[in-house]
Amino acid sequence: MPRSGRMDVQAFAARTAREVHGYKTEPWLLKGAQILNIHYELNNDTVDDLIPVTMRPAIPAYGIFNVTHYPESPVGPFSIAEVRVGSRAGVRPRGFVLRSYVDNDTAARELSQRWGYPTTVGKVYLRAFHDRVVARVTTGEGKNALEMELLDRDFISGGDVQYISSMHLARNQEDSKLVIVQLDPEWVFQKAERGRPHMIALDSQAWGAGDLLRADYPISASYTVCDVTLTKIRYVCDPEQDAFRGTTQVAA
Amino acid sequence: MMKFGIFYEISVPRPWERETEKRVFDNCLEQVALADELGFDSVWCVEHHFLEEYSHCSAPEIFLTAAAMKTKKMRVGHGIVICVPEFNHPIKIAERTATMDIISGGRLEVGTGRSATWNELGGFRANPDETKKTWDEFVRCLPKMWMQERFGYQGRSWSMPVRAIIPKPYQKPHPPMWVAVTSPGTEIDAAERGLGSLGLTFGSFHEQEEKVKSYRRIIANCEPVGGFVNDKVSTVNFLFTHEDTEIGNKVGRRLLGTFNFLAAQLLACREAYPTKSYPSLGLLPALRREASGPGDDGGVPEGIAIGDPERVLRACKKWEACGVDRVNFLLNALETVPQEQVLNSLRVFAKHVMPHFQDSTSQAAAAGGGR
Repeated sequence: MPRSGRMDVQAFAARTAREVHGYKTEPWLLKGAQILNIHYELNNDTVDDLIPVTMRPAIPAYGIFNVTHYPESPVGPFSIAEVRVGSRAGVRPRGFVLRSYVDNDTAARELSQRWGYPTTVGKVYLRAFHDRVVARVTTGEGKNALEMELLDRDFISGGDVQYISSMHLARNQEDSKLVIVQLDPEWVFQKAERGRPHMIALDSQAWGAGDLLRADYPISASYTVCDVTLTKIRYVCDPEQDAFRGTTQVAA
Repeated sequence: MMKFGIFYEISVPRPWERETEKRVFDNCLEQVALADELGFDSVWCVEHHFLEEYSHCSAPEIFLTAAAMKTKKMRVGHGIVICVPEFNHPIKIAERTATMDIISGGRLEVGTGRSATWNELGGFRANPDETKKTWDEFVRCLPKMWMQERFGYQGRSWSMPVRAIIPKPYQKPHPPMWVAVTSPGTEIDAAERGLGSLGLTFGSFHEQEEKVKSYRRIIANCEPVGGFVNDKVSTVNFLFTHEDTEIGNKVGRRLLGTFNFLAAQLLACREAYPTKSYPSLGLLPALRREASGPGDDGGVPEGIAIGDPERVLRACKKWEACGVDRVNFLLNALETVPQEQVLNSLRVFAKHVMPHFQDSTSQAAAAGGGR
């Protein structure tokens, strides 16, 4: 039968999950975001342990390594880095977020409380040069969590880029139960580029993944400038059930 | 007169024990033999690689050769052969297909296409930006390789000095050629080149009707790449029918659901690799949409050939009214429908539905055919 996730969500949540304060947040419009996305194929033997039973791995398994700088937001500028496992919730493509490093304490707290982001404070560096776009993520303890590059920048259209929605494992403040919060951002592209992906360093432990997160093979890299709307929460899922049975609509 | 074919992905459930894969291939070939007896017009199979459980049909030329050996009348069709050099060298395509045409006694149809998943493109290290271009180059070369005694070429994606590419096809000037139509606008590509439209998705009846009209208008003034124009339109559908309405709906819905679930897990090129070359997510999501679209009272999406024979007949009549020449049916996914039920469904279709689309001679054959 088809593969599905087999993560120990309680153990994983103890390492990464934050409290989400209800599902009533208003949207945030974040203008002029710079987004570096690198896609790598992940190790197929370990990826099922990196997603809850709610989800199924994409075949082949792949990860989305994302670093974004938001020059303006309701809590000031901030940068965020995420590793997402490319998966399916039911039949829909979704990225399960392992952990998010944010370089602004207030932003980290707000993102968790509003959308259930599994945030941790760290240093997040993103810089576009003429020949490459470089990203580096450092944990609060000073460990190098991720270092990656897009090489040989080449213009494409924003319409060529396909981003997918995120799934955040969080703890609901009201009843302390674990929940998966789905976030469906909207993107309006101003600029899009593509290039060769180059992973320089990846520390699996730093993403709460033990030794299971292994980037095996490069797929693609893109760099965009766009306006991002973090929308209202529409769906949440039970992390102990598959998405067909365990999805609840919380807003239209 | 509309014709009916059967269409194979060859879906194999885990665990992949030695006997599991053999049983699925054996089942498919048994279905092919019965379909030939019952008056189905053609058998088609895909070329897919690395699509775990969804499709284990990576060597379609072998499967189709076996199908040709087990049948007398059915045409055998590549649906499709991938025209990307990392997958198939064009000389090998010309040689293989000519051999298949000879062995099948001139029953080969050659569908062409380019693959749409990262599983496959990445697996063969093919450049997604190039596939539409190499497909175009291949389809212009293939007819010449079949028709000319000797052929030489200096092109963009491949070249060769003058050689005799042998054998030559049994059908003259060559087998009918088709294009897999999944991305929007590919039906125009097909029409402009005088190639059949091998629709692997169909959208709504209205959408299909418009596409067929547009295809027929353009192909009337086409510049054919081959020795003749193949102006036919095929589409793909699911088939499960049973005299008992409840069984027809229930088992059929299970087939749709299983297919939908399986196809969703694969990685469409566009999801992982930003490129203009794949403006849509391709075949799989489109088929999924159709398989999970708004249903009727029995929960079956409009236009899907699932349910009792009366319902299936109504769906097929609508496709005929849209101008479709042939419907190719997918019969199973993950062996979710037991083999006996698949065979029975083919018999029920031949007995109750097919006669409404045949001339009097064929009707008599269909009524008496089968076991």
